[in-house]
Amino acid sequence: MKNWKVHGIVLILVIIAELIGAIKFKLGPGTVVLLPMIYALIIGIFLTPRFLKVVNQKDMKDAGGLITVTLILLMARYGTLIGPTLPQIIKSSPALILQELGNLGTILLGVPIAVFLGLKRETIGAAHSVAREPNIALIGDVYGLDGAEGRGVMGVYICGTVIGTVFYGIMAGYASALLPIHPYSLAMASGVGSASMMTAAVGSLSAMFPDKASMIQAYGAASNMLSGLDGLYISLWLALPFTEWMYRKMYRIKYGELPPVKEGQQ
Amino acid sequence: MKLKETIFVMIIVGILSLVSNFVGYQNGILESMPGMLILILISIAGVLLSKVIPIKIPSVAYIVLIGCIVTYPSFPGASVLSAYISKVSFLSLTTPILAYAGISIGKDLDAFAKTGWRIIVVSIFVFVGTYISSAIIAEIILRSLGQI
Repeated sequence: MKNWKVHGIVLILVIIAELIGAIKFKLGPGTVVLLPMIYALIIGIFLTPRFLKVVNQKDMKDAGGLITVTLILLMARYGTLIGPTLPQIIKSSPALILQELGNLGTILLGVPIAVFLGLKRETIGAAHSVAREPNIALIGDVYGLDGAEGRGVMGVYICGTVIGTVFYGIMAGYASALLPIHPYSLAMASGVGSASMMTAAVGSLSAMFPDKASMIQAYGAASNMLSGLDGLYISLWLALPFTEWMYRKMYRIKYGELPPVKEGQQ
Repeated sequence: MKLKETIFVMIIVGILSLVSNFVGYQNGILESMPGMLILILISIAGVLLSKVIPIKIPSVAYIVLIGCIVTYPSFPGASVLSAYISKVSFLSLTTPILAYAGISIGKDLDAFAKTGWRIIVVSIFVFVGTYISSAIIAEIILRSLGQI
């Protein structure tokens, strides 16, 4: 809490990151927008014991414990982004609600790839969702986190934490340049239940469409909220059964037989 | 975490965000102070509500809801509040958060290295799969309703 070294380092990171400022450049067909938060993240990673050793284990632990609280002000700001546009948001609520089912697209793409790469039950944890905090809790509850399913969900969760923010920022820019999809639809898709991934995606989109920025931000924030509310239930009732079914189909295609039934599983 | 500690961290993050807002978005620290105070008040109200109301709903849900209500166009004084808050660029709030996140990721890096390349490949397909499918569904609905 009162680890002033961490707060001081963050202050320096913030100043450096903001002095660099947003950088926009063309890379192939898409525009990549690098936002100050990305530099803050990356410089922060380089200060850890693996690299520059500026921070120690305790600092990392303290910083980790603060993240939930640091997000609070951003959440308040999201609320105030949504508020003024609420009439428009309500009008678009059918699109906002139904796009949540897009999470199932994860399974269509993720399960075949995972099985093809030779993963077994890890597939269930890894490919059933984008694996944010509620999904870890869910997999832990249904299968336990120490088994293969748990390894899968933790793997994707850690990838999301380490590369997800940068990846979402770049993906949003590319999707908008390459696909005939409106920035509002891409904004709605950005909310996967992770504030930083959503902000990176929405940040890229708003930098590309400054005149639509306020609606883009509001749609992103609203859809992220919605994912936080319904994500767990979609995962539990739709995504997990569908993942299990898809896994059996894919397993049979690859190995010519059904996967062995695990002990203690109904 | 106790309320006092939460408020303490909020104030620190508030100050860091004001610095970020000044350096990166040229909004003076004094002129964005009222907006930041409003955000802190909204947050405290949300945290308090989640403690008072017995139904188990995370405080962030209340915070977003209060933020929504006080800036809803027909809420009294909403335009004044929105004007103050708009001085606080929402991106400036993200820079300190990701700085903390970056520092804390260090402890995940070993796990990340151990995860193996297959999970990393699957992760990328998972990210792309959910993003593109959601975007396509949203696009179809928005177009069929004539909203874009």
